Amino acid sequence: MLKFFENLKKYFFYSVYSAKSDLKSEVANSYLNWFWWILDPLAFTLIYIFIGKVVFKSAEDYFPAFVLIALTSWNFFNLMLSGSVKAIRDHKHITSKIYVPKYILLLQKSFVYLFKSLISYTLIFILLFILKVPITINILWFLPLLLLLYLISFGISLFLLHFGVYVEDLFNLTNITLKIVFYLTGIFYDIGSRVPAPFNKILLTCNPIAFIIDQMRNVMLYEKGLNIKYYLIWLAISIVLIITGIHIVQKHENSYAKIS
Amino acid sequence: MSKEKEKKNIALRLTNVSLSYRIIQPYSIKRNLLKLKGVKSDYFQALKNVNFELEEGKILGVIGSNGSGKSTLLKAIAGIFSPDEGTIELFNNTVSLQAIGVGFKSRLTGYENIYISGLLLGFSKSQIESKIDEIIEFSELGDFIYKPISTYSSGMVSKLAFSITAIFEADIILIDEILSVGDTSFREKSFNKIKEIIFDKTKTVIIVSHNMGQLKEVCDEVLWLEGGEVKDIGEPNKVISEYMAYISPKKK
Repeated sequence: MLKFFENLKKYFFYSVYSAKSDLKSEVANSYLNWFWWILDPLAFTLIYIFIGKVVFKSAEDYFPAFVLIALTSWNFFNLMLSGSVKAIRDHKHITSKIYVPKYILLLQKSFVYLFKSLISYTLIFILLFILKVPITINILWFLPLLLLLYLISFGISLFLLHFGVYVEDLFNLTNITLKIVFYLTGIFYDIGSRVPAPFNKILLTCNPIAFIIDQMRNVMLYEKGLNIKYYLIWLAISIVLIITGIHIVQKHENSYAKIS
Repeated sequence: MSKEKEKKNIALRLTNVSLSYRIIQPYSIKRNLLKLKGVKSDYFQALKNVNFELEEGKILGVIGSNGSGKSTLLKAIAGIFSPDEGTIELFNNTVSLQAIGVGFKSRLTGYENIYISGLLLGFSKSQIESKIDEIIEFSELGDFIYKPISTYSSGMVSKLAFSITAIFEADIILIDEILSVGDTSFREKSFNKIKEIIFDKTKTVIIVSHNMGQLKEVCDEVLWLEGGEVKDIGEPNKVISEYMAYISPKKK
């Protein structure tokens, strides 16, 4: 673990610089440039508003913000997980020529995704203002929730990074699993009120991403506080995942390059 | 500092290094569920019990036929592969494998790629900033350095790659075939640069090459690998003539 922090220090600037360059190159030659980063979440919100309001006639309060909170958090989680499975193979041009701690590749990607999410979250805060959502002090819980989202995504991704090297079709499996989890996360409905009794509780406690999204909605939209007990449990789980994940990756990373 | 004192500094020591590749097809859930075929697992021993040490400032040539483990040896020293058995001691020296295009991202500019490569090679921001002008000048790319790599010709990419690895120097430099890149004038320049690095007394160099004449000229010692094992190590002329004698009957 000490080695992890040393490497973190050593490669932190690389991760930031490389993430910045990635972001820049992504939009450098497109017509709308960095507007895409705003247009993208905005377009999806409009689609889901259409589905929710017009097609399914759902009536959650502050529906646009309700959906956008979920969508932004989900996108980060989704991108982290599906990106990590192929991370080693995608970076073969680096890993076959030079030693770099493999979780640094993940860190670098996470900064790219985090930046995009932060734009989207900023959009949400503007939306809260437009929708005249009553703002309370509880909204500050947003930051610890974002931290939990980052840590849990990073923790799970470490495992996918490792097993993705050895299991060829883990990518397909991960994508299917993510699609299932997507619908079990309540992106455009409220799990608490719409899923029948025992299952809603189970989903909200066992699905970390559903828990995070539900809590974010509570603190940002519905003037409620944080469920601290479950927050701490999931925080502990994330930290354990990260520590074991780092350990596994560190132990095996030099064999990754040997696998053809 | 006297030369005698320098000679005592061991820069690199390999003890009983063995390394094998797992030639496996990655495990596939689909294949396994359908039981079409089991997971193939094959081991290929690339290095067997390699022992040697190298003094600081020395130049070691590595020879051997194709597939004898030369490149694997370099990659193991560079830390890309870890040995299955044995140890590689570096005594806190930095190592770099002269690799073409370390992690180039084609959508980024040459300038950004120099930065990223430097950071990946373990240099700090200030070290890179102090070297970056030299690299740009050496690469002869001019204004192209601010354009994405994807707009470069292949010659320009290799020029940039060479300049990066040649100017970001580590303590131990591993060279897999002395490369000649670019047009005639650049080729001459790059060869001279390599010579300059090789003959720098503070740098320890390992060169893999098939050019025996070149090796005789520059190396202090030559290591002969055959089938992953060290056949011989020692004085260049002696080892090279042994090697030539070994391979010549095969040729006939």
